[in-house]
Amino acid sequence: MDTKERIKERLKANIISWDEPFPRRIYFSVQPKDIFDTARFLFKELGLRFAIASGMETPQGFEILYHFSDDKTGIMYSVRVLIEDKQSPQIDAITPLFPGAEWIEREMWEMLGINFVGHPNLKRLLLSEDWPEGNYPLRHTT
Amino acid sequence: MDIRLKALTRSIWAFHVSAGSCNNCDIEILDCFTPRFDVERFGIQLIGSVRHADALVITGAMNRKSVPRMKKIYEQAPKPCVVVAVGQCALSRHMFRYSYNCDEPLDKILPVDVYIPGCPPKPEAMIAGIMKLVDKVRSHK
Amino acid sequence: MKILFSYFIFPGFLFSAFVGLMAGWVDRKVTARLQWRHGPPWHQNFTDIIKLFGKETILPKDARSTFLVSPYLGLLGLVLAATILGQAIFFEADGFTADLIVLIYLMSIPAIALIIGASSAGNPLASVGASREMKLLLGYELPFILSVVTVIIKSHGVTRLSEILIRQAALGSNVFSLSGGIAFVVALLCMQAKLGFVPFDMAEADQEIMGGALIEYSGIPLAVFKLTKAVLLATVPLFLIVLFLGRNTGPFFLFVKFIMILTVAILIKNTNPRVRIDQALRFFWRRLTVFAIIALGLAVFGL
Repeated sequence: MDTKERIKERLKANIISWDEPFPRRIYFSVQPKDIFDTARFLFKELGLRFAIASGMETPQGFEILYHFSDDKTGIMYSVRVLIEDKQSPQIDAITPLFPGAEWIEREMWEMLGINFVGHPNLKRLLLSEDWPEGNYPLRHTT
Repeated sequence: MDIRLKALTRSIWAFHVSAGSCNNCDIEILDCFTPRFDVERFGIQLIGSVRHADALVITGAMNRKSVPRMKKIYEQAPKPCVVVAVGQCALSRHMFRYSYNCDEPLDKILPVDVYIPGCPPKPEAMIAGIMKLVDKVRSHK
Repeated sequence: MKILFSYFIFPGFLFSAFVGLMAGWVDRKVTARLQWRHGPPWHQNFTDIIKLFGKETILPKDARSTFLVSPYLGLLGLVLAATILGQAIFFEADGFTADLIVLIYLMSIPAIALIIGASSAGNPLASVGASREMKLLLGYELPFILSVVTVIIKSHGVTRLSEILIRQAALGSNVFSLSGGIAFVVALLCMQAKLGFVPFDMAEADQEIMGGALIEYSGIPLAVFKLTKAVLLATVPLFLIVLFLGRNTGPFFLFVKFIMILTVAILIKNTNPRVRIDQALRFFWRRLTVFAIIALGLAVFGL
């Protein structure tokens, strides 16, 4: 059973929508509360490589895409979560699963203000030391 | 004119600093030292340490983290030292002028002597800029 | 009076500095030509030194007292070596017994001055450069001294430079014998490291450790270090000529031989990358020392 089928079968309860707009690019959405479970399945059991995560503010809320790469076939699986609470957004951190996600989650926190619950080291990464606290530059409503 | 200042115009040791550039201007600066343009015939050399520098060649838009470090580097260069701003980002921050991170252009932070526009500037433009500065120093003092 | 003239003017400081700076220009011009470039004009090295006299000297906060003193020590010791060498070539009567041994000691003073200066700069990159220079010094001094001892044995125990020259004038240059030839090749490669040329310039590596040993120097001390390097470029090939190619030391032949050795150094410089310090040590202590010992053995048997 190939990777796509395994994902669809195992995460049936979590997946909200499934989209394949281009060859070798698959997007599927999950609820924010299920991201830890999804990431653990994709990383530990399927052996996909975590490439990067990207965060954006949309009118509906904060949207984060986690990109996992299947190096054997070249297919990129992107997991989309939508955090609807724009006042105090938060989501589970996936850094406890693999340390490679630590810096990108720090960057998403300092630029967008998304709180990552369970992140071991939520400190400033890119902004300078004299940047005021609580000022998240990539939010539209600053 | 003082012979040492005259010697300075014929033997400029350049130290290249990047304040967060996209590296295009950095590559073009290195191009100046390739056989096609060869600025070593003017006496210009790329050196490794800032204490040997006669010209600080600065690229990149000044973001907030670079500003104190750039000031420190300018203090570490022995005077007389020339500051050359290469590329639009160093001149005026170019497309980053409304960014949250780039507050001031380079010439509000350091005294700039040569402005070389372009994105990235061609090596011919850089050589023309350096020669203009050399002529200005020779005719002034 | 004559001593002062010999030390400062000819064949001491001014003469060696002039020859060395011009030789340095030849190096830069040939390197540029090999890379299809034009290269700097003939006065470039002189302009560099004059310009450095006009820059301010910055003293780092953590620098120790030997920071400003060591460049001058290096230059003074080296100019003494150049004077002794020049006197052996040009004014035969002014040499003294065992001046060869004195010369070997004096020619290692610039490296020691560099090490002292770099270690007193208070900069971690400078101490990296100093440690590399120390290891390189230990590396190349061994085969270098062995090849010099080969020449001493070939000259039947004479350690006076002028007498070595007289022997070669009578019997032919040392390089044309088997042991002399091998020792000459060994000494050429050690000269490459002594002058700080690629592939052995890791002490002063420009892009790798930001100027290495000379990172904190600026202004006049830096000019003194550059002058030291220039005088070294004039002295060490001349030393090799006296030891190995000393049959005919008229001015024209001296010039031709100097250019020949300089060409070999420049060609090696342009065709090789920089090696790591452990690779350099392995090269000097394993390969070159073996060859030097072979040359020594052949010299003992009279070959």
